[in-house]
Amino acid sequence: MKMKSNYTNWKNLFLATLLIITTNSCNDLLDVQPKAQVDANGVLSTPDAIQAAINSVYARLRNQANYGRDLLALSDAMSDIGSAASSNSGRLLPENRNQSLSSFTTTTWQNSYFAINEININLQAIADLKFTPAPSTATINGWIGQLKFLRALYYHDLMRVYAYDPGNIISTQDRGGVPLTITPITTSTDASAAKLPRASITEVYTQIYADLNDAIAKLPASSGGPFTATQGAANALLSRVALYNRDYTTVANAATAAIASPVASLLSGAAYVSGWRANRHPESLFEVKFQDANENIGVNTSLQTSYTTLLSAAVLGTAPASIANAGFGDFVPTAAFRTNLGITGPVASATTIGQVCTGIDVRTQLYAVGPGRGSGPKIECIKFLGKNAIANLDNVPVIRESEMFLNRAEAYATPGSPVFDEAKASTDLNAIRVARGLASVALTGAALQAEIQNQRLLEFAFEGHRWFDLKRRGVDVIKSPENILNSDFRRLSNIPQREVDGNPNLKQNFGY
Amino acid sequence: MKKILLGKFLVMLLLLSNVAWAQERVVSGKVTSTEDGTALPGVNVVIKGTGTGTATDINGNYKLSVPEGATLAYSFLGFLSNEVAVGTKSTIDVQLETDITQLSEIVVTGYGSAEKRTISGAISSVKGSAIENLPVQSFDRALQGRAAGVQVLSNNGIPGGGVTIRIRGTGSISAGNAPLYIVDGVQVNSRNDATATQANPLSFLNPNDIASMEVLKDAASAAIYGAQAANGVVIITTKKGKSGKPALNFSYYTGSSQPLKLLKVTSSQDWFNVRKEARLNAGETEINAVANTLNDMGRRPSDFATRTVQQLYDVAAGLPTYDWQKEVFKNGKVSNYELSFSGGDDKNKYYISGSYNDQTSILAPVDFKRGTVKVDLTNTLSPKLKLATSVNLSSFNQNVPFAVSGSFLGSPAFSSSAVLPHNPIYNEDGSFNTAIAGVLGQNVVQVNAFNTGYSKSNQVVGSMTFTYDIMKGLYFKSLFGLDYRSVAGEQYRDPRTPDGVGVNGRSSQQNFTNSNFITTQTLNYSKSIDNTHNFSALAGVEYRTETFQSFVASKTGFPTFQYRYINAGAVVETVDGNWSGFARVSGFAQLTYDFKKKYTATFTARRDGSSRFGTENRYGLFKSVSAAWIAKEEDFLKNVNFLTDLKLRISYGETGNDDIGDFAARALYTGGTNVNYNGTPGIRPSGLANPKFSWETNQTVNAGLDVALFDSRVELTVDAYRRTSKDLLLFRPTPWVSGYDSYADNVGEVINQGIEFELRTVNLDWNGFTWRTDFNYSFNRNYVNKLFDDLQELPGNPTIRVGYPISTFFAQQYAGVNPATGRPAWYDINNNITYLPTAADRRTFGSRQARSYGGLTNTFSYKGISVEAFFNYEYGRTVIDAQYNFLRENGTRLTLNALQETADARWTTPGQITQIPRPYTGGTELRGSGVTLGSATYLKSDFIRLKQVTVSYNLPTTLISRLRLVKARVYAQGVNLWTYADYPGYDPEFVDFDVASATGNNGVGLLPQSRNYTVGVQLGF
Repeated sequence: MKMKSNYTNWKNLFLATLLIITTNSCNDLLDVQPKAQVDANGVLSTPDAIQAAINSVYARLRNQANYGRDLLALSDAMSDIGSAASSNSGRLLPENRNQSLSSFTTTTWQNSYFAINEININLQAIADLKFTPAPSTATINGWIGQLKFLRALYYHDLMRVYAYDPGNIISTQDRGGVPLTITPITTSTDASAAKLPRASITEVYTQIYADLNDAIAKLPASSGGPFTATQGAANALLSRVALYNRDYTTVANAATAAIASPVASLLSGAAYVSGWRANRHPESLFEVKFQDANENIGVNTSLQTSYTTLLSAAVLGTAPASIANAGFGDFVPTAAFRTNLGITGPVASATTIGQVCTGIDVRTQLYAVGPGRGSGPKIECIKFLGKNAIANLDNVPVIRESEMFLNRAEAYATPGSPVFDEAKASTDLNAIRVARGLASVALTGAALQAEIQNQRLLEFAFEGHRWFDLKRRGVDVIKSPENILNSDFRRLSNIPQREVDGNPNLKQNFGY
Repeated sequence: MKKILLGKFLVMLLLLSNVAWAQERVVSGKVTSTEDGTALPGVNVVIKGTGTGTATDINGNYKLSVPEGATLAYSFLGFLSNEVAVGTKSTIDVQLETDITQLSEIVVTGYGSAEKRTISGAISSVKGSAIENLPVQSFDRALQGRAAGVQVLSNNGIPGGGVTIRIRGTGSISAGNAPLYIVDGVQVNSRNDATATQANPLSFLNPNDIASMEVLKDAASAAIYGAQAANGVVIITTKKGKSGKPALNFSYYTGSSQPLKLLKVTSSQDWFNVRKEARLNAGETEINAVANTLNDMGRRPSDFATRTVQQLYDVAAGLPTYDWQKEVFKNGKVSNYELSFSGGDDKNKYYISGSYNDQTSILAPVDFKRGTVKVDLTNTLSPKLKLATSVNLSSFNQNVPFAVSGSFLGSPAFSSSAVLPHNPIYNEDGSFNTAIAGVLGQNVVQVNAFNTGYSKSNQVVGSMTFTYDIMKGLYFKSLFGLDYRSVAGEQYRDPRTPDGVGVNGRSSQQNFTNSNFITTQTLNYSKSIDNTHNFSALAGVEYRTETFQSFVASKTGFPTFQYRYINAGAVVETVDGNWSGFARVSGFAQLTYDFKKKYTATFTARRDGSSRFGTENRYGLFKSVSAAWIAKEEDFLKNVNFLTDLKLRISYGETGNDDIGDFAARALYTGGTNVNYNGTPGIRPSGLANPKFSWETNQTVNAGLDVALFDSRVELTVDAYRRTSKDLLLFRPTPWVSGYDSYADNVGEVINQGIEFELRTVNLDWNGFTWRTDFNYSFNRNYVNKLFDDLQELPGNPTIRVGYPISTFFAQQYAGVNPATGRPAWYDINNNITYLPTAADRRTFGSRQARSYGGLTNTFSYKGISVEAFFNYEYGRTVIDAQYNFLRENGTRLTLNALQETADARWTTPGQITQIPRPYTGGTELRGSGVTLGSATYLKSDFIRLKQVTVSYNLPTTLISRLRLVKARVYAQGVNLWTYADYPGYDPEFVDFDVASATGNNGVGLLPQSRNYTVGVQLGF
């Protein structure tokens, strides 16, 4: 009898347990909340959260595929200023040889669009913010201004990489601008449905202008920078964007406004050279900050390792034999570039390692003899030399003051420009020449234009301007082992295959 | 099987209690098992030709009066019979060998065990004895080739490193494909946490503590584990104590390991010639090409401009060649010590063992040192209540290489074949040569000697199980289990080596802890009505939670290289951590019925909830049904003598998979390293929410046949299956322009269908000489049946294609070398030759998944001597070997060494037909494509490997009893003795089963497996 009742008890208990299981009331047991992350729902409901979400958009600029390396080193490797050695790490070699499919990577596209969606989400969150006490209008305007500056920067970089520039469009090969979206996406349904076509080049430029004009209006005239967006930075970017758009009046006006801003100033002589050794480049209107060792891109693909095998500024001018092989120094200036810059010495050899180059132009001092990898000592660019006190950790200037002078000079010097004025052009050009230790020149016409472009080449070498300058101006790239003509399909990078495969509305660039 | 011995003993005693005692002389002795030397109680000892005899007592002893000239016959269920002529002997000790061919084996099933004969699902069983004393660190490696339908491949040769197991193919694209491992009822976590090396968590268990491994292959067998069983279940049962006199066993083996293969790379002169040719082909003049090549080798004289071509050639001719691989790959050592005690009475039993395993690999300083302690107790607390306690303690330490994989310059497995061969390893004074010419630029021998690191895993897997007999046939079982693991890693980059010099040394430390708790409460009931209708029922609930946390830190700036611990660093580089966790709750039931052991049927149902899924869809229901017909029991087959047994099985079942990120269904905001900016914190979205996200379901239909012929001399098991994995846990790609990469969704379908054979034969059984063969063969066809949105290809991963196996290569077809010019060419989509193939020219090739695989074991034994040879084979996998790809470039793109084979095959003269293009500086011809593009470097990794040969000798009973032993066995063993493969890399077995990977490299820089020789001894006291 006892056994029987025992059995019944067990059975009841068991059936009760089963019942509990089968009626979904075990959700408490299944409640596991993440600790290292926070649920997205409602996360952007405080000013601090919005500020943090804006920081993420800046942080994406650090990506190797954006300003971490590719918008500088990879783009210059595709141009005509340097060569990549086959005896180093092999990086940037296919890009330097302009092999098909060896250009900007899928990450440039991906990272930029991820940033753009974050911007769109953040702008929406700012509009929806209900917080007591409400943040000041100045704070809100500051947020919106920064986000719009960043959206303009990301879109313009996408356009430079993947689309033709207004004024130099090979119409038979033109597939338009890039997909344009300013609506936030936060659900899987919307994300799946985002099969966007390419907007026209004009549409994208219109959006970039609108964002920059809004940013200029909302950002404060005097504070901050260069690690975050300022009115000066927004004007500077507008000047650059307008130059690509051949909108010379805007180029000149925006450049003038940027030059007037307190964020940066033009340096000359030795001060300019030491500006490159400073943590923060005094000429930077906007600069991407690499704060600590965590953010280091590292010994394989940082800008420093891409350009030089020297370990740090401390080894410059020291006894040669003691210099350790640090980076790879994959991409170095060509002999033609060195001649153009006026480097008079030293000759790269085992006994001159660590010696800084000499010449009348102070920019020669941004080159030095590195020990090299594999094939011996070479003259290398030392603009990036671990100036944040850690090897391979450098802040990256995005727009420098000198660009404003050269942008404006080009706007004044281009025939047919509404602001055509060769005298003003010469003034701006000579401002740069003199600041760099060169004599003033009095040029006109094509010679003036050519000298402006040559100063751009010398001034921004290893800063990622040359490839895009040649592309926007429709100039053939004359280089070894082969020339890349203006009509060559490789002037545009291929859109990630994955994006084209998953989105029938998206047209791949010509030739890929 | 031992568990039932005592019961049988009692039965025998009853049967034999009226034996007559009227013979002339008395013979006594002891009967033991050859398997482990333990005493066998209840063995039937009969005088041949008479009905008289006796049975052994609890200690295996017997005493019997026999007439002159008698022969004694020893027989016992589950063992092969033995006969001994008495002669003049008065003591006859006998060893009985386990009869592995008996179909009445008991196998472990989900939450219970069953007589193998009545099982209706597809279960492969591997006895502990089959893998005993293999010099492997984890039991999963030992499963290789032993069970049909179970594919086992080593990820690398690191002792204690990872192993990839696929049971009946790959079903999932984004989610896990590894089986569920259960050790004595505890579901263990098999994820590799270590970052510094590969630390296979399954290494925690000394394989020699394993009594049996059961692999539940079809969904019907595994469905009782529902949620986690989609990829099959491996149930490990460890050794338990048995009643009887205390038994002490000692075992020891030691041996050495050697590289399987070193790659034949070019000499300094050959390399010089190829590189010079590359420069000539790119248009350089001869003297420039020669001088520049010498410069590439760091051997251009400073006065080269004043020298003649011939003088420069003389420099090249005088360059020495060094064998770096020989310096890096050396012989390793292995030793293993074990001691176990077991015994008990009918109430309390114990099995206690300890072991120490010490293996140094063929690549210093990589090693493995493990100590284990296992305690297994069974206590009868009251006539109704039993307690089983199992505790496995384990600690293993692995010294780590510079890198486990990858083309790191300091990675010895990558660099030793790739370094330019004219670089000396040591200076004349014996110090390391650090002026290494070529891209590697560092001395890997020095780097590997100076950089240090280790990974230490501490693990506890334990459980306590109460069993309460409620009434006859009904018992309640309550299990509480824990699987706790901590992995600590440390790596030091020495400031004397290139990776440490820039930062004055770097120390990184990692700590990972994983706590996994499980409780299972089950009720088992069985009832037999007139031995005709036999029922058994099982119902239970289960709850499992797991939490994982990590903490990592690194510092740089060390005073000197002697300061290597993290405290001494001046600059904090990284401090980071993470947390993750999940919970599952389940209820399940099973009903088994058989009619006269002739017809059997099993029904199971399990309902699982997992915290990993969307709030709207957390629960899944998994059902199965299976049936078997034991045809031999039919009257019309009972008298067919050659047919020992015949059984037909059929099953259908469903299982689930939730092996995806713990928070995959959630939209979260994450912060941290990549998100912070300008020293202030940042946050960003990570993932998109899918509240409907739910189980991936596997539906498997299985049909099987078991045949035994000629007194079980031939046994065949055949299974055919079709496994449909539907509603896949797939990271469904979204356009990047949306701001997201993908989100977790239940879309897509993958099918695996195949057939498996297991054949066991006794080929010869003559005068004590036996020859047995065990053969298994598995064929699996895998294909993606559908994706989503009518897509034929997964965006971003063209290796996932509808109608093709997962991981199918999709690329441009290599056309070989243009015989006229030596340029590599490809076919466009219209089969025209092109030098610049585009994405539109891609087509499908083979898959990274094997089509068939299996094993073959031959065992010869004669009077205690046994020879076993085990082959493992695999067929039908296409792979890329990244190490080979580097070496196949013939030093044209990078200053790396070349394979002799590919250097010799390079195009040199017009008209030459070859696959290897002419060398060209930079690797790629102008307006050409990279030499490794498309199918140019696809390899077949088919292999047959003589995995293991064991020669063992059981010392005769007469001898060992004089040594006061109950058992003594000596053996010699060889592992990976011979490989048949047409494969240019280190090892065809290496596997990259990351199905999400769009490229699929058979890794580069992996430590290869080794050939091992061991000798060992096992003693029982």
